[in-house]
Amino acid sequence: MTRKLFLLLTFFLLASCNSEGNRPVMKIGYMICNSEKETMQRFLPLTRYLSEKAGVDFVAVPVDTQDFEKHFKTGEFAMAHSNSLIYIILKERYGLQLVASEKRGQFGSRTAGAIIARAGSGIAKLEDIRGKKMAFGPMMAPTGYLAEYDMMLRAGIDPERDLAYYSIPAGSYKHEKAIYGVLFGRFDVAAAPVLDLEVLTREGKISPDDFVVLAQSPIVPYCTFGAAKGTDPEVVKKVRQALLELKPADTVEVDGERLKVLKAAGIDGYEELLDSDYNPIRDMARRVNMPPYQKY
Amino acid sequence: MLKDAYDKILWSLLAVTLVALAVVLIGHRAAGSAIKDPAGPDKALEREMAYQARVEFINKLYAPVEALRHAEDPQGALFKLDELVRLYPNEAHGHILQGEILYGMGALDEALARYVEGVRLNGDYVDKKSPLSRRGEIQKVADEGLRVIGGRSRENPGNRSMAESLKNVNYLRSRLAGGCE
Amino acid sequence: MNLRDRHLWEVVAAGLALGALGVLLSIWGNPENSGICVSCFMENIAGALGLHDNPRLQYLRPELIGFVLGAALCSLAFREFHSRGGSAPLPRLAAGIFLMVGCGVFIGCPIKLFLRLAAGDLTSVAGVAGLVAGVWVGLKGLAKGVDLGPHSRERGGSGFLVPALFVLLLIFLVTRPSFIIFSDRGSAAQHADWPVSLGAGLILGGMSQRSRFCITGSVRDTMLMGFRSYMIFGAVAFFMAALVVNLASGRFHPGLYGQAGAHADHLWSFLGMGLVGWTSVLIGGCPFRQLVKAGEGDADAGLVVIGMFIGGALVQAWGISATAAGVPLAGKVALLLGFAFIMVTCLLFRERSA
Repeated sequence: MTRKLFLLLTFFLLASCNSEGNRPVMKIGYMICNSEKETMQRFLPLTRYLSEKAGVDFVAVPVDTQDFEKHFKTGEFAMAHSNSLIYIILKERYGLQLVASEKRGQFGSRTAGAIIARAGSGIAKLEDIRGKKMAFGPMMAPTGYLAEYDMMLRAGIDPERDLAYYSIPAGSYKHEKAIYGVLFGRFDVAAAPVLDLEVLTREGKISPDDFVVLAQSPIVPYCTFGAAKGTDPEVVKKVRQALLELKPADTVEVDGERLKVLKAAGIDGYEELLDSDYNPIRDMARRVNMPPYQKY
Repeated sequence: MLKDAYDKILWSLLAVTLVALAVVLIGHRAAGSAIKDPAGPDKALEREMAYQARVEFINKLYAPVEALRHAEDPQGALFKLDELVRLYPNEAHGHILQGEILYGMGALDEALARYVEGVRLNGDYVDKKSPLSRRGEIQKVADEGLRVIGGRSRENPGNRSMAESLKNVNYLRSRLAGGCE
Repeated sequence: MNLRDRHLWEVVAAGLALGALGVLLSIWGNPENSGICVSCFMENIAGALGLHDNPRLQYLRPELIGFVLGAALCSLAFREFHSRGGSAPLPRLAAGIFLMVGCGVFIGCPIKLFLRLAAGDLTSVAGVAGLVAGVWVGLKGLAKGVDLGPHSRERGGSGFLVPALFVLLLIFLVTRPSFIIFSDRGSAAQHADWPVSLGAGLILGGMSQRSRFCITGSVRDTMLMGFRSYMIFGAVAFFMAALVVNLASGRFHPGLYGQAGAHADHLWSFLGMGLVGWTSVLIGGCPFRQLVKAGEGDADAGLVVIGMFIGGALVQAWGISATAAGVPLAGKVALLLGFAFIMVTCLLFRERSA
């Protein structure tokens, strides 16, 4: 009798045991925001949190923006965290499903692209940027390149012809380098995501009095979580629910340390947008002749 | 109640006390403007002064934000406002201004959230007669919210974010409708 | 139902007047759907007396003054004024506090409950269900022997104290001394002219004193006696009068959302009114009825009224009161403590048969 009870108890323990070693393993591709180190610091706690909630061992894989599509199409990733332009490319070409949109800053899950100049530089309106030196963010940045390029074209300014030149800073932290480039006089104007301006202002690294916003695009969605087409719908549902229910007080253990998930990621939460909310970016990409609508 | 000497004494003393009370009240009233009661509180005046001082302080504090708005630099105004809201998170005016600017920039959901925060902190913004009243603007945002977000919410019944935004719309509608708050 | 019975018509008349004036006072300046609300007005008076510092809720509501003085004058005229009391005074004081907690969590007293319903506010349906449930539970308690004890005729005129207090409040209302606060914004700044409010209060106080009309009483009597009780007709007359005036004045807006002074926490609305219903049965009447009885010389009801003043101050000072945003944690805790109090009271005041 005792033996039977022991066997029964062992059976139940094993049946309910869902230790990390027994769970399915899936990869989440994280588009590198500023640098690989910064991206992992921000999103490793979130990855662990999602693992706990979804009952899956998620592995965070940082990927450079330019290489994201290449990695994604090999089927390496079950989920992808990327900017909204990359989301659209993956959706149109590989059927990526929208899971949740990341809230950060004053516009929630949206932000805008701005063209800025240094205060007191004499450049007061968009027309004044003709013949000037300009810094852009990376080409696949919806609010660091695409939105600004689009604004300029719509204002009748051709970045390829009407500027002295434009450049994209090398290495990591491209958006910050573009902004600092203007403030320290290396460039006359820069394409700056409003979100980055907000974050740098909050961190006290720049002051709003130091620059002028010459033009600003309409607000568009930004960082997005998506699920690859073949990913288990149950897992997708759990991940979506976990993201939408994330609260500032939620914590997760990473390397023996208890961390607040949202605080570590530097974000305010997630919300459910519709795919149609991304149409303004699609329209911009068409006008600027960028992927996935690029015509050669 | 007039049985014996003790009753009579009590009645007499009561009459004297009531007469004294009347004399004190009438005498004070007659003296009126000539003699101010230094010990008497004038809570109404103090409150009014404190309120006016607060309105002045708010106008002064947020003047740079208003200046940027008038200069048609809403994003600059938002950056400035962000600093102020972090310094004074429980001051409703900052949230209301954020709501106004965000609404003007097309961020309806975020504008609603800011308005809700502002009205929760201080209901004067939905009062008809308050010097801080933003009733008209808030009504407009709530009406648009009901139309736009209500419509999207009906088309997407499971969408939690839209449901949250709709809650904000309904909260503002409820505050605008009145009640004991 | 005996149509020749004068008492029936007194009850119906009181109901009609309460319903009609309840809406008309809103039209004349009182807050929306709060033409008459004993709990909200208690909070206003507590604020005016400086018992809490919410600057939007400080005003000496003449309606409540009218209820007590109207009942006093009417009872004196008809020789029904009797000083009485002595039945569990402190529990009644505490009951008054918790009545305000229950009303604060719902955002309204039983009168406002039906005024809201008559304006199309469907969030009050949960409150109606709660009130009925609370009355039912209270009746079960009474049937099982819960009894706060009889009151007795009291010597010395203690029954005059509460009416005297309200006379003082009337003097304050008229003379406006500087230590009494009158809000210049918020819902307390929304009021009908004070003579109109006072007149309405006096009429309703007198009519309710004569008819013994009470909202929870009508629910209670209907449960006990069905249509043999006249109170149900008073309640129906009240609701219909309010509904008709709302419809005629374009103030009927059916729906769950966007209602004035309402929240969507239906469970807590149910529980709030449940507490009010249960407590009202034990102490012999809803908040409105307590004011009327206090006017008649009932010192026990007078203590409930004092408890309601204290409760009105606390729900504001301690953040217990619900708002359109919902029920705060303090409100939920206070409500549950209220239930605990009423359950302990039932246990302690129960006559158990051997």
